[in-house]
Order: sequence, then structure tokens, then C-alpha cells
Amino acid sequence: MGVVTVDLKMLNVWVEGLIRGGRVFGVQAKNNRFQFAPLLMAANLRLDYDVTVIPPKKYMQPAREDLLTFEGAAGFETCLDQEPFILIGVHPYDVAAIAQMDAVFSGDNVDVHYMTRRKQATVVACDVQAASANVFAGCMGTATVDKGFDILLTRVGDHYVVDSRTHKGEVILGNLVKAPKADAVSLARREQVWEDNRKYLRKHELRMAPETLPTLLEASCDHPVWEEKSQRCFSCGSCNMVCPTCYCFDVRDDVRWDLKGGARVRDWDGCMLRDFATVAGGHNFRKNRADRYRHRYYRKGKYMPAKIGHISCVGCGRCISACVTKIANPVEVYNRLLEVR
Amino acid sequence: MSNPRVAIFDFACCEGCQLQVVNLEEDILSLIALVDPVEWREAMSDHSDSYDIAIIEGSITRPEDVDRLKTIRERAKILIALGACATMGGINKLKNNFDLKEVRQAVYGAAAGMAHLNTEPTRALDEIVKVDFKVHGCPIDNRELGAIIRCLIMGKTPVIPTYPVCVECKKNEVVCRYEFNEICLGPVTRAGCGARCPSRGFWCFGCRGYAEEPNVAAASDVMDHYGKTVEDLKSRLTLFVGQQEFPP
Repeated sequence: MGVVTVDLKMLNVWVEGLIRGGRVFGVQAKNNRFQFAPLLMAANLRLDYDVTVIPPKKYMQPAREDLLTFEGAAGFETCLDQEPFILIGVHPYDVAAIAQMDAVFSGDNVDVHYMTRRKQATVVACDVQAASANVFAGCMGTATVDKGFDILLTRVGDHYVVDSRTHKGEVILGNLVKAPKADAVSLARREQVWEDNRKYLRKHELRMAPETLPTLLEASCDHPVWEEKSQRCFSCGSCNMVCPTCYCFDVRDDVRWDLKGGARVRDWDGCMLRDFATVAGGHNFRKNRADRYRHRYYRKGKYMPAKIGHISCVGCGRCISACVTKIANPVEVYNRLLEVR
Repeated sequence: MSNPRVAIFDFACCEGCQLQVVNLEEDILSLIALVDPVEWREAMSDHSDSYDIAIIEGSITRPEDVDRLKTIRERAKILIALGACATMGGINKLKNNFDLKEVRQAVYGAAAGMAHLNTEPTRALDEIVKVDFKVHGCPIDNRELGAIIRCLIMGKTPVIPTYPVCVECKKNEVVCRYEFNEICLGPVTRAGCGARCPSRGFWCFGCRGYAEEPNVAAASDVMDHYGKTVEDLKSRLTLFVGQQEFPP
């Protein structure tokens, strides 16, 4: 599988070809921010974006989806989205997040809805060209990635290095296979981009190695930071909703007017929401704001590493931006744990 | 089993929520297949004193309203408050911020003294009688009302969001109004509307009332950060939730 270089014009032609060939979602500008959305023309693609409001997880686990439809005694039918699609412009930290979600949804009980979409997805990643206000991927080891994508695009000067790593990637390369092989200079410049991104995608500096977080958290259950920060928490779940590694959901049945048929619907849920942990009988095992607030940081820094072997924060910084009261900066919280109480 | 008998009543309001029920259009046929409407001023001329479910819009602003409400409560097995006026007093509660004599004078001028224009501080239904279910919003979302009615008939407890509007903004990928340095009541307002206003570029008015355990103190704390004052925040809260009680 080759590494080639293409100029901007050729890249556009390639993207136009992909759009003609099927379902393509790419990063585009909207309301002064960026989002992944159906790509209708290559010119709308903004590979120079900083960060999207919502991560690309929405294509594998939509905010709301029908899991199955039912028709009374006639039984039910599982809903599976089997149409192939291409995601263009996924930043390395989001690639890392998708890899984590793959581990989550393919482990324990395999989630057929997620995995079906995931299998249909071709991920065209793109190295970061503009740092967002709150990115700290450099601290989390996710400023660059070497797996988890099908094709990686890296802008070096006035052209792109296109690196296809999988069969899926090869399939969509099309005419790009005829593009010139990347020469030593381009590859060296790509190395430089990676080095810079690892160095500069650090708008917040985590003062510890991420791997030490589980141990640090182990001893931080009673730290005052939980109570302190959570006093300003709206329990609005914004940090959950925009997080590329938050995957919790709620499931309910929506019954039609005939009271026979309907759909089993699942939508995003969040551990910061007041009733997230409310169970049958009305008991809520995380009733206090501080308990919920602490839970989120334990989840990312301790419980998930135990489950999938990775710190479940990829440093995208979306939660920091989304939090209206500015209490959701994981770097600030984790750094505080180092301080003497 | 016969269908439950449903009566829709109105108190002080614009009757826009009742209109939202009429606006179900074709779904009205589905609705009346499940329930028998026996009184519904905007849609039929019948009257009845015998019903299982009473759906009430509007707030309570006069002594005679209190008596009428209590009578309805006695007759109904289930009482549903329909819309912001019924669930929390709504915009009508604005008048509670003023001297009632002045309010009457301002509205009715020379006629203000007439007996039938008597008024008292606005109250929501649950300040007087027990309310079984609340359909929030100004106006209500008729799909939500439909879902609640279907749940009741099936014997299920309707699920009404207790969390703030922010959840729905994020699901809709709406850029936060605070990022435009605007005060939005979304973070303290009950979701369920699908973030109708912010999705169309406007801040949340708070028409569904406070979310459960709203952190209003946190909202005040961050006004500085957005170049606003606590007074600015209060002026927004006045419209719907200024008089609404919530646990500290």
C-alpha cells in the first residue's frame, strides 16, 4: 500500500469522485464552527478546520436511532444501517476515540447496530492543520495516529501526502494510485508535521503521564476538587454529549397511536444528568452533583483504562469549550489532584 | 372496555395550548379513537360534568377560578396541566411582581374598579389542587401530549425529561448561545422541546420551567465571564420562571 503525494486540485477531483460514488460525510463550516455533514461538493470540505462541535461518533452511534420496530403480535424487526459511507477529515484524536468505541461496542455484548455502521465506514483521517482553542491531544498521545484509519491525509506545503493503510483505503483510492510516490522530502515534511502536532497541540498541559491517572485517581476519592467544581455544574450533560468517548445511552419504546406498533429508540444519555443513575423504584445512586461530576473523571481516567486499556480522554478539548460555567477542563481537574489538599 | 372520557378546560391563558391539540390535525382521529372527548371548547359544543381525565390549560387568577378548579379536580380521576400557564403560572405570573391595584388600573383604566374585573395573584394549578401530569411549554408540543396520553392509556408512566435543554442543543449540534455572548436559559430549563428556539438561533426563554434541581447560582456566577450581569440574567428569568419555586 503506497504513500503518494497529490496537489490540491487532484485531491478535489478525487473527493468529487467519492461524492459521485456514494455516501460521503466531511468537515464543513457552519455558524462560525465546523461540523461533519453530508458532503455535496469537494469545495465545501474544510480540512483546515480546528475541531468539530460534535465528534464523528454520531455516524456510528447517532444521537437518536431506532433499534427495532415492532408490530404487536407480528413480532419485531431489527433496524440496521447497512449503507457504506466515507468519513473525510477525521482528526487523529477522533480516530483514537473511534478505536476506543470499537473496543467498547465489540466487547461484552456485541452491539450489532454500532458494529454494522462501523463495518460500513471508511475513515479518511487528516492530520491537524489548525489547533483549536482547547486541544490537548499532545498530552494524551493522540496528536498523531498510526492506525485506526483507512487513509491518512497530511498537508505538507502546497500538497497532501496520502497514506492508504487498509484494503478499504485501497478501494477508494481510485485514480490516486497513479499519483507520484511520496518522495523523501515529502515524507520528512510529514514527520515534521507529526512532531509539531505532538509538541503544539497542548493548549493545556497535563502535568503527569496519562498512564499514571488510574493510580492518582485511586487515591483521590475524597479530594475537595469534586465538591468545589461541581457547585458550578448545571448537570446539563454538555461535556458528555460532545465527548468522542462518551457512549452511554437510554432505550425506550415509542408506541404509535394504534397502541400496537412502534419503535424501540435509543438516544444519547450522560452521566452528568440528574436522573442518569435513577433506577426502578426511583432510587438514584448518584443523586449529588459532586458524585456525578467525580464519576465522569473516574470513568475517563480509571474505569475505562481497566476495561479497554486506554485512558478514555483523547484531548480534543470539546468539553472545555462546551461547558458554559468552565468547570469541565479535564487537565485542570487532573492537575489539581496532584496538589496537596 | 370503553374509552376514557376526556374534558379539556381553559382558565386564564391565550388558549394556544388547546389550539395545539386542535393542530394535531389528522392525528385527532387517532386521538379520538383512544379517548372520548366530552368537553372541549375550541373543538366542540358539548358539555359534560362526567369525565375520567381533565386536561386544563391556563392559570388561576380569580376566586371563582379556584372553586371551578376544585370541582373539576373532584370529578376527574386524572388531572393534566396543559402548558406553561397551567404548570407554573406562565406569563400571567408577571403581574405578581406588581401591586395588583396598579395592574388593574394599567389594564382596564377607568373600568378597573368593576367587580367582575377582580383579580388575585396568579397561581399554577398545583398551587391549589393535586396535578397528576404536566405537559410543559409555551405552547405545548402536541406530539409530547400525544405520547403522554398513549402512555396513560397503556398504563405506563410518561417519561418527561428532567435535564436541561443543553442536552437537546448538543444532540442537534447547535452552537451554544453563550459562545455568541448571549444569555440563554437553556442550562436551567427543562428539555423536551427539542431545543426549538436555540436550534433556530434564539436563546431559550425557559418556557418549560426549571429543570429538576436547576443550578441558578451557577448561572449567576458565570455572568461576568460573558460580560453580563446578574441583573441581565434576572431580567430573562422573569418571563417564565421568576416566580417559580425550586429547591435550593
